[in-house]
Amino acid sequence: MGEETNSTTNVDSALNSEPIATAQKTRFSLGNTKRSSAEWVTLALSSLILLAIVGLVLYDWQVTKNLPPAFRIEMVEPARFTESHYYVPFTLRNTGGRIARTVQVTAQLHLPDGTDENGEQQFDFLSGHERKKGGFVFEHNPESGDLVIRVASFGLP
Amino acid sequence: MNLSPRTKYMWAVELRAILQGAAGSFLFGIPLLYTVEVWAIGSATDSPRLLAVQASTFVVVLLLTQIEGFRRSLSINPIETLLESIEALGIGIFCAAIALLLLRRITLETPLSEALGKLIFEGVPFSLGVTLARSTLERRRSDQRRTLESDSTPPLPTLPALPAAALSLRSTLSSTLADIDATIIGAIVIAFSIAPTEEIAIIASALPTLWLLLIMAASLLISYIIVFASGFTDRRKRAQRGLLLSPFTETLVTYIVVLIASALMLIFFQQLSSNDPWPEWLSNIIVLGLPASVGGAAGRILA
Repeated sequence: MGEETNSTTNVDSALNSEPIATAQKTRFSLGNTKRSSAEWVTLALSSLILLAIVGLVLYDWQVTKNLPPAFRIEMVEPARFTESHYYVPFTLRNTGGRIARTVQVTAQLHLPDGTDENGEQQFDFLSGHERKKGGFVFEHNPESGDLVIRVASFGLP
Repeated sequence: MNLSPRTKYMWAVELRAILQGAAGSFLFGIPLLYTVEVWAIGSATDSPRLLAVQASTFVVVLLLTQIEGFRRSLSINPIETLLESIEALGIGIFCAAIALLLLRRITLETPLSEALGKLIFEGVPFSLGVTLARSTLERRRSDQRRTLESDSTPPLPTLPALPAAALSLRSTLSSTLADIDATIIGAIVIAFSIAPTEEIAIIASALPTLWLLLIMAASLLISYIIVFASGFTDRRKRAQRGLLLSPFTETLVTYIVVLIASALMLIFFQQLSSNDPWPEWLSNIIVLGLPASVGGAAGRILA
């Protein structure tokens, strides 16, 4: 493509001091300022993308309007027992609007014999409405004692 | 629907312009795509500031478009500058979205505000890349290419005695080697600064195994687009240089070269060692292979 040597090529070459190969002139015979219909399609799609982005940002602004972070811990999956340890999965969810940093989740297992097993886990970033998964590992069966998993602290960016 | 040749040509020209913009976009945007801080900044920015970032990107692109652009027009009027800037932003954001989805920085589970933040911040280098596509990727003089012909002549004064077939095989071999050289140089220029960073491990560890195939396919496709589909190089010139490899074969062969280069860079920076399990080797090499193949492709068209 592009080996045509029409008059626009000469005009364009004259405009530029650098010699440019004829192969690089492809603005077709429509001239330099008129847009082809293909170019209008590109413009329409690009405008659509931009408008969608701006629209979504504004929508998100309305929805999450400065709601502070709030957390919910869900334990849906059952604990599993592998190689003499108990694995307790959990899902941490930011039910607020703003992002939280360094969210610290702690777990405390009170056993009937009076001893405790503790665990700690930190999540670096948790956006509004974001879910993240994690797990705690215990040596004793969590069902035999009293297990409390909670968010202990967080930071704001 | 039957398109006239003129219409077909118009669409081909436009597609080529868009692909050139996309090629520049990936080349310019990929270093910041592999930067964990940009994802974090994007996630943590509130809506008004995101709009401000997008607006300032638009202004910068607008200023750049007055002197550079992804379209091949040499003169431009003010309204056209505005329209082309909108297109550059659109193409840039589209490419950034594809890249973020590909590396799973945005998934279906990502909250809207985080996805928008990442997209707008990564969209900045990708949009600038669209505008700078031609100035970074187009060779102004196609006849200044260094070839290996001259240094293969002196040690073999009896060259004319060789049969024609052997001669063309020699020149094919030497230009294929020159292409591989250019690929390695381009891959190193782009990927060397990414290889020692922790982003490779972060991205690789979050990818499902089959997703690696998608990244390989994308690496091949982007490399093909940069070298062949965007028309930065004149294919007939390449044929004259005696390059017998078909575009498809060349893309495949250079991708293998790029993967080897990626592996060597990761070993060089001790990101991979013999203690690491082989799936980690595989995923890290393929993840670094994406920027490396973008660089390699750019190297081949600029060499």
